[in-house]
Amino acid sequence: MNELRLGPILIRNRLLIALYNFVESRLGIKEIFDLEIFYKLAPSHLGIFSCFGGITFFLFILQIITGTLLLVYYVPTTAHAYDSVVHITNNIPFGWLIRGFHHWGANLMIITVFIHMGKIYFHGIYKNPRELNWITGMVLLMTTLSFSFTGYLLPWTQLSYWATVVGTEIPSAVPVIGDYIKFLLRGGTDISQVTLTRFFAVHIMVLPAAIVIFIGMHILMIRRQGISGPL
Amino acid sequence: MNRISEDIIKEEISGGSRRSFLNISILISSAVVLGGIIYPVLKFLFPTATTVGMGEIETFSMSINEIPVGSAKIVRYKNRPAIVIRLKEQEIYALSAICTHLGCIVKWQEDKKELFCPCHAGRFDLYGNVLGGPPPKPLSVYKAVVEEDRILIKEV
Ligand code: FES
Repeated sequence: MNELRLGPILIRNRLLIALYNFVESRLGIKEIFDLEIFYKLAPSHLGIFSCFGGITFFLFILQIITGTLLLVYYVPTTAHAYDSVVHITNNIPFGWLIRGFHHWGANLMIITVFIHMGKIYFHGIYKNPRELNWITGMVLLMTTLSFSFTGYLLPWTQLSYWATVVGTEIPSAVPVIGDYIKFLLRGGTDISQVTLTRFFAVHIMVLPAAIVIFIGMHILMIRRQGISGPL
Repeated sequence: MNRISEDIIKEEISGGSRRSFLNISILISSAVVLGGIIYPVLKFLFPTATTVGMGEIETFSMSINEIPVGSAKIVRYKNRPAIVIRLKEQEIYALSAICTHLGCIVKWQEDKKELFCPCHAGRFDLYGNVLGGPPPKPLSVYKAVVEEDRILIKEV
């Protein structure tokens, strides 16, 4: 056998085939590639606006990579956060590039997410049978916005400090529980080291875990249902 | 053979080399793109003098009042720990604080006037010589001078 077909992929490389056979004979992974979701082809009516979900996903991958790299030098303390960001930008080779990608990738991601949502909304694609996917999309939107909000504080500049003061003040307008939410978000009565630490934890652990799960569901549902045409 | 079939043969031959030309072009351009990504990332991760925080400073200076007579202090000289000992009012010694055995930081023992390594009980005198224990080599010694109320540390 010198040709191997896995879903839509055709493999001719001997080494890859040998590797596949090694795994296949032990785990039996062929069934996975036989799944219907690997055979969906993109319909021909797709235009530029159908690409924004994918572009957002691409930007997200970029955020993971650049974010991990920034994490190597960033120091999440009130005394050193700003200095470490300046250090990354000015002293580390290509630090300006990595940080620039993370900064602009984040901004672009907000834009592409909203274009994606607009397309889905105005073409009525969220309707039956795709309501569940719309809901995961909403969760993803909230997660993306939380990423922006928590990430904004991390450089610990005047701008990020006061933006967080204002941002955490907003939920206090909620009746009865508002002040508790504010207290919880800030980890105290005002913005301090505690706030920075919890925003950092949420930004690099909680949100990435959540977004990966929901992106997985989002994409699996698309593969299962196929891409909708305009109604 | 007429012209048309000749053209077809030519087309087929050049078609083959066109394919390999395209394959090579794809290979080269992906290598360029990949290199353009990997190179900055490796540069970013690899420590340099500026990323470690400070360049090599040849002379280190500190206030003499930071060390009471009879005691010692660990300082950072040329990005590595050094121990500065103030034996008498104006008598200062400076040595590398990194034990030559397995790299622990040595301590000053005021009562014995010795440097002691807590890891495997290596002992050194104030000139870096090994007095006992496993260290194979003496500690490197620096030159310490007092100028007014400052201690200056230099390479000997
Ligand atoms: S490391 Fe100092 S004695 Fe072993």
